[in-house]
Amino acid sequence: MEALRQRARELLAAGTVQAVLGYAAGSEPDRARPCFVRTAAEADGLIWNEHCRQNLATYLQKPEVRALGRLALVARRSTLRALLQLAAENQLADGRVVALFVADDGAVTELPTLAAIEELVARLPRGLSDADRQELDRIAALPLGERQAYWAGEFARCIKCYACRAACPLCYCARCITEANQPQWIPVSSDPLGNLEWNIARAMHLAGRCVDCGSCSDACPEGIRLDLLNHVLAEEARTQFGAEPGYSVRKDYALASFKPDDKQEYIR
Amino acid sequence: MEFAVSAFEPKLVAFVCNWCTYAGADLTGTSRIKYAPNVRLIRLPCTGRIDFMLLLQAFGKGADGVIVSGCHPGDCHYTAGNFHARRRWTLFRRLLDFVGVDLRRVHFAWVSAAEGAKWAELVNDVKTKIQALGPYDAFPKRLDGRPQPAEVA
Amino acid sequence: MPRIGVFICHCGENIGATVDAAAVAKAAGELPGVVHAVDYKYMCSDPGQNLIKEAIREKKLTGVVVGACSPRMHEPTFRRACAEAGLNAFLCEMANLREHCSWVHEKLPETTEKAIDLVRVMVEKVKRNRPLFPINVPITKTALVLGGGIAGIQAALDIANAGHPVVLVEREASIGGHMAQLSETFPTLDCSQCILTPRMVEVAQHPNIRLYTYSELESLEGFIGNFKAVIRKKARGIDEATCTGCGACIQKCPTKKIPSEFNAHLGHRTAIYVPFPQAVPNKPVIDRAHCTYYRTGKCKLCERVCPTKALRYDQEDLLVEVAVGAVVVATGYEVKGTDFFPEYGYGRYKDVITGLQFERLASASGPTLGAIRRPSDGQVPETVVFIACAGSRDPAKGLHYCSKICCMYTAKHAMLYKHKVHHGRPYVFYMDIRAGGKMYEEFVRRAIEEDQVSYIRGRVSRIYEKNGKLIVKGVDTLLNSRPVEIAADLVVLATAMVPQPDAEALAQKMKISYDGDRFLNEAHPKLRPVEMNTAGIFVAGACQAPKDIPETVAQASGAASKVIGLFSKDELSREPVVAVVNRTAPPLFSTCVGCFLCETACPYQAIEREEIKDRNGNVLKTVARVNQGVCQGCGTCVALCRSKSIDLQGFTNEQVFAELVAL
Repeated sequence: MEALRQRARELLAAGTVQAVLGYAAGSEPDRARPCFVRTAAEADGLIWNEHCRQNLATYLQKPEVRALGRLALVARRSTLRALLQLAAENQLADGRVVALFVADDGAVTELPTLAAIEELVARLPRGLSDADRQELDRIAALPLGERQAYWAGEFARCIKCYACRAACPLCYCARCITEANQPQWIPVSSDPLGNLEWNIARAMHLAGRCVDCGSCSDACPEGIRLDLLNHVLAEEARTQFGAEPGYSVRKDYALASFKPDDKQEYIR
Repeated sequence: MEFAVSAFEPKLVAFVCNWCTYAGADLTGTSRIKYAPNVRLIRLPCTGRIDFMLLLQAFGKGADGVIVSGCHPGDCHYTAGNFHARRRWTLFRRLLDFVGVDLRRVHFAWVSAAEGAKWAELVNDVKTKIQALGPYDAFPKRLDGRPQPAEVA
Repeated sequence: MPRIGVFICHCGENIGATVDAAAVAKAAGELPGVVHAVDYKYMCSDPGQNLIKEAIREKKLTGVVVGACSPRMHEPTFRRACAEAGLNAFLCEMANLREHCSWVHEKLPETTEKAIDLVRVMVEKVKRNRPLFPINVPITKTALVLGGGIAGIQAALDIANAGHPVVLVEREASIGGHMAQLSETFPTLDCSQCILTPRMVEVAQHPNIRLYTYSELESLEGFIGNFKAVIRKKARGIDEATCTGCGACIQKCPTKKIPSEFNAHLGHRTAIYVPFPQAVPNKPVIDRAHCTYYRTGKCKLCERVCPTKALRYDQEDLLVEVAVGAVVVATGYEVKGTDFFPEYGYGRYKDVITGLQFERLASASGPTLGAIRRPSDGQVPETVVFIACAGSRDPAKGLHYCSKICCMYTAKHAMLYKHKVHHGRPYVFYMDIRAGGKMYEEFVRRAIEEDQVSYIRGRVSRIYEKNGKLIVKGVDTLLNSRPVEIAADLVVLATAMVPQPDAEALAQKMKISYDGDRFLNEAHPKLRPVEMNTAGIFVAGACQAPKDIPETVAQASGAASKVIGLFSKDELSREPVVAVVNRTAPPLFSTCVGCFLCETACPYQAIEREEIKDRNGNVLKTVARVNQGVCQGCGTCVALCRSKSIDLQGFTNEQVFAELVAL
């Protein structure tokens, strides 16, 4: 934690960055909140613990944050992947962000360029946590009717607050499909069809792009495991098409490319 | 022997490309091959144009089964639209299955402009299968109060 | 409010016998927005069309739905009728009541119900149709032809003779390509250069052709009718305007032992050289890698002997920009070496040569002046073995495809050899003989029957040297797979035809597609054989697939006629069924966020980047823009766009959504 604060102080003091975006203590002991540190003196407020989960790359697209200038960003693995994916999608210029990657042991690595991020991310372990894996497999193994009932129950709780969208670093559209009204793809109110449509649309729009940060379900006030939808698609995109979003700044979108011999055993 | 059985007549919506399957269905007509009248075609230029949201919309409007069909791989009028569509379908099917949408109600096929008979067989086969499954009550329906697309002045 | 007219056709009995057309019209008349609905026996007839035209005028219709046959049949008819009555053609839609309804279902209430559904769907769609207008794209009536082989020459001459300027780019010092290297051509055995060189001269003298030899395409931007090509004119080391082509420099050049590319490395050339005597233009180039002056800083003998002082040692590459409206790619092929079959000993034994090398031996302008003499000692070979499919049609070791010309040129080689060495014994090892073509089979029969070439059906397993002979070990599969051994003096390999080594790079530069073998992909294998997927780019010759001279010339003329067709109008008029990226008021400018994921999904590279700038020129936002000259309207980008910022005219999201809601 001290290493992180020290790096933040140095970067701010040297004028390398105009602000450091990191985590500060939240309103409860088991929560952390994002914070913008503008001066070296404020760096003492930075914290690092297991509650610092929110993907801070999400803030980069906001006009107010863009106006801040060059930023340092406290980053986990998924934050780094989000940065690379944003760059691949033409949303992040190289050098705009200095990533401060914090490893499990608290060691801080400063990554000033996208190339440096690419190199580090390639060396990090991949894959889902055991708990996520188990939950995914449990639901996938349910009989169709129960699976349908499970998700109908989950989506029935959705209040269409779009916190999932706000928390997602890759949901940066200036106008979301939910806001398009000619036609009104997804109803404004919360109804069973609309809730299903929204959650499917969100997951499909992230297919081949999601960097597995889980910020969507962390943000969900109803505790719906939205991230599982993303994980399922990420896994399918990886096994079918070799999609590895967030590991390179190269644009390589699985749904905008193809191989003539892609799987099609379900097509008659 | 005749029974007054009012069998369930499923509502089928087919999304087809203009150049292969729509033309194939035209050929079914010119060949006078009969098939079940339950299907309604939505004609689009290419399977690449078929937004997955349209499939959800069809079920929401009460479709009991959906058919998606276009040119065989390599035959696409636009060379690659069907290849892109195929990737989209692969992921979409996986997601539908995971959230409990019955994949037996979503049928994908390549029907070329020469396959008039295949089109008829496809529709009949899907109809029979969906008939056995019954109405798709488990899928949420579009509510009446839902805003309609604005009418054009 | 929309004012829709619905016109239900009986199509005689075709629809009328199965569908209750009057009931369909009646039901349609009750749909919201429909102000006029009638049925008629033959809607496509003149009186039928007049019904539509009159209703448009009298009822002030804003949209028309014709319930009749397939739109693939009569959509143009009814759209034209609407346009004639003053209604935009794209405000007319058809409901397919015949092919998709009356012809495929029994006469049942359900069939009429379906017909009503189909009409209702189209009424809902047409309410949301917008007037569309053909897209006009201006055309620069100059063609760029890449490659100065027979394909490029033919295409350039055809286009130039039609009166259009042509820029012909050839990377070698002379045009002529592989055809200039050939001795005689099958099946007529006429001399290749005799028929080619007049064409080369015609190119050089044609007032409409600007020739850039020793030049390559540096970049290509733009779209159909409006390309900008940059050509790199490599430094020749001489001033072409001053040089008279007298050849004094070539005679005096002290570096004389450079393997001649034109002679397939069987002869030599100097460091300052023209590739062959009939070169066009007949202006030398300096091969800087071998020139004594460039290597040591001393010599300049050529400058001393040049009567016109044309040498320019410090000349640099020149970049020339040209505006063109169409491009013909005719970059040809190369003959693959035989690294597939090390057991044939090519490279190890001097007397194992390729077919192209044999062409040079047999050519009157070749290193032996047309005498068949083997490379090792200049002796006339008594026994020559020709091996067909040395690399082609062998997925395990070589290439999977057939190079198409080898059967014929192998027969020709054996024949030429026999004509020149009367007592010689030619043998051909082959898999099968593919002699499809006018007079081709007869040609092969002639080789076998009149010139007594021994054809052995079987593969060769190995070639090795023994007592000054090349021992060819093979098998005759027509004689119970009996092993065959021939002691040969010369072995000629029919090696495979492959694209140029940089074919892939060129295709990427031009954003055109190519297959797994690096051959260029035509737009449609049957119906659009000379067009590339990228509009305005055409293809001719062996860069697309192996082919012989007649086919190449035919394709070149085909490509040229496509170009001439394109140039026949001042503007290109296109169907307005294209994708459009929306534009909105500032500060959003467009709902597009510029992720450009649609870019790679477009099969036509129609998605461009547009920078939206403020008054001072600062870039505020970069958004996608669809080039309407290039877009073909498949809509793949539309379905991909997450924010629904792209839409497809004629099949908009709003229209399709309304169709579904109406079901």
